[in-house]
Amino acid sequence: MDRRRFANWSLKTGIVAAIAALIPGVVTLRGRTRTAATRGVEPGDRLVFALGDNAGEPISEGSFTQNEAVLAYPEGKSDNHENLAMVCKLDPAQIQPPTDLAGTAHGIVAYSAICTHLGCTARFSEEPMEQAPFPHIHCPCHGAMFDPQHGCKVLGGPAPRPLPQLPIKLNGKGEVIVAGPFSAPIGVKA
Amino acid sequence: MTVPRWLDERLALERFRAKYLGKPFPVHSTFFFGEIALFCFAILVATGLYLALFYEPSAQILPGRGAMPAAYASTLLIDSHPFGALMRRIHHWAAHLMIAAVVLHLLRVYFTAAYRKPREVNWLLGLGLLGATLAASFAGYLLPFDQFSVTATAIGYGIARSVPWVGSTLADLVFAGQFPSSATVPRFFAYHVVWAPLALAGLITGHLVIVLKQKHTEMRRAGVRTDAAEGAYIHGIPLWPEQVALMGALFLVMLGVMAALAAFLPVHPSAFYGPPQPATPEVKPDWYLLWVYGALRLIPGTLSFKLFGATIGSEVFGAMLVPGILSLVIVLVPWLDRGPSSLYYTEPATASPVRLALGLATIALFLALSLAGFGAELGLSVPVLWIITVAAPVAVAWVAHAVARRRSEQLHAPGGATS
Repeated sequence: MDRRRFANWSLKTGIVAAIAALIPGVVTLRGRTRTAATRGVEPGDRLVFALGDNAGEPISEGSFTQNEAVLAYPEGKSDNHENLAMVCKLDPAQIQPPTDLAGTAHGIVAYSAICTHLGCTARFSEEPMEQAPFPHIHCPCHGAMFDPQHGCKVLGGPAPRPLPQLPIKLNGKGEVIVAGPFSAPIGVKA
Repeated sequence: MTVPRWLDERLALERFRAKYLGKPFPVHSTFFFGEIALFCFAILVATGLYLALFYEPSAQILPGRGAMPAAYASTLLIDSHPFGALMRRIHHWAAHLMIAAVVLHLLRVYFTAAYRKPREVNWLLGLGLLGATLAASFAGYLLPFDQFSVTATAIGYGIARSVPWVGSTLADLVFAGQFPSSATVPRFFAYHVVWAPLALAGLITGHLVIVLKQKHTEMRRAGVRTDAAEGAYIHGIPLWPEQVALMGALFLVMLGVMAALAAFLPVHPSAFYGPPQPATPEVKPDWYLLWVYGALRLIPGTLSFKLFGATIGSEVFGAMLVPGILSLVIVLVPWLDRGPSSLYYTEPATASPVRLALGLATIALFLALSLAGFGAELGLSVPVLWIITVAAPVAVAWVAHAVARRRSEQLHAPGGATS
């Protein structure tokens, strides 16, 4: 090997090595979340109002009338957006499988409020809409519709899968507490 | 010894004047769209420099006065003084106008076939500029950190998560964590204030240097000979003083119009939208993303299947495949067009009926997809919107092609006008 060949080789190898040395640094771009935000929902958590004047107060059986729903977080875990749940009060006679009936109580049933299409917060519908019976849950972003009386199965719109159910039960004071984890992954799935 | 002569002896200004200040600029009203985009960028940088002096790129909740993130509080601070509010609203209007100007400029270049050899490289640089502008706009939209900002960015995060196989990692890298993470706002601030402006400045420089080198195209005019010798001369107004005067006037008119719009039409009222809440408001994206919104509304959730472990559903079709295929076709236009190239001249829009028809049909498609986002408000069901989305571009293409064919037959008929 003469000097020219060596100089060419070392230049090319040096450039490739310099670029390759940067690649492990890409992992530093990954997201960092504060430790509290990684806490998910756990059995025994009390559900509290997520919004409004009584935000932070526990939800109990008397908090709402039939065919109404509220947004809720497990107490103390509101910094993890994926914990957002929609607690609905429905007519117990109308709730059917695939809803897990053991995870409901006196017509109160809870689902994830994060739409499975692109992650917006879904809403409980206050009025009947075309193509959907009342009550139903719909998403204001792209019009996905879910049936809370049948496990939040998809009634229409672009959502690919139902909203996961959050099993709940009532404690001695009639407050809604979590009985188990969400029945499926939350929100958008790759 | 005068000042100009003193400078000339040191900087060779006379040589510069002779070589550059006389360069001719062809004139046509539609040739101004690129300049409008450039001036919008200048106004965005100027107003952005001011806004950056006050903005706090942090989602930390400030104690007291309700759960207000620091970024949102700094936005309210900027709005609290009339001058700050004016700067922020001019920034907003200039952003929208820049996107509109870039799109109109793209359409002008397309319809006059100014992308043909040797200008393919500039076509690609221009599309890079469109992409960088949209990226800057997306990142900037989060910064006020109000309800609307967070909702729009959450949807972008959902789309990133939906990318098959690499979605979670991609979203994690781009958004610095699971949205809304505390690390997202500082990262988007970096994208919007450092990465995007540098990319835009670099691409603009390349774009303009190539135009300088290849010379701006001009439109053929009747009565002007176009043989090879004639083509060696560009017909236009000199850079100094006529073109500079026109550019100065255009810039001042634009600044005046944007200041008037900003003063009398308040946009993105963060104080009214309020800080981010768990509930999602009924929002639609800004006009330039309505077509993606419409595509997402049109594609049903039932069209979903698994491929090698990834879910291919309506998000992939609406937010990745439809925009991806349209973008790819637009990128490939200079290679799909087999027409004769010209170093100096544009081609009239009607000279190639196929080009005209496809261009107008694509515009019709974008408009139909944007319309599809308003199905609920207009009372149109999803199947009806599908019919409109397919039929409108086909109808427009048919009519445009027929009209252009007839025009071009008349021009070339014996006894008719010759080009």
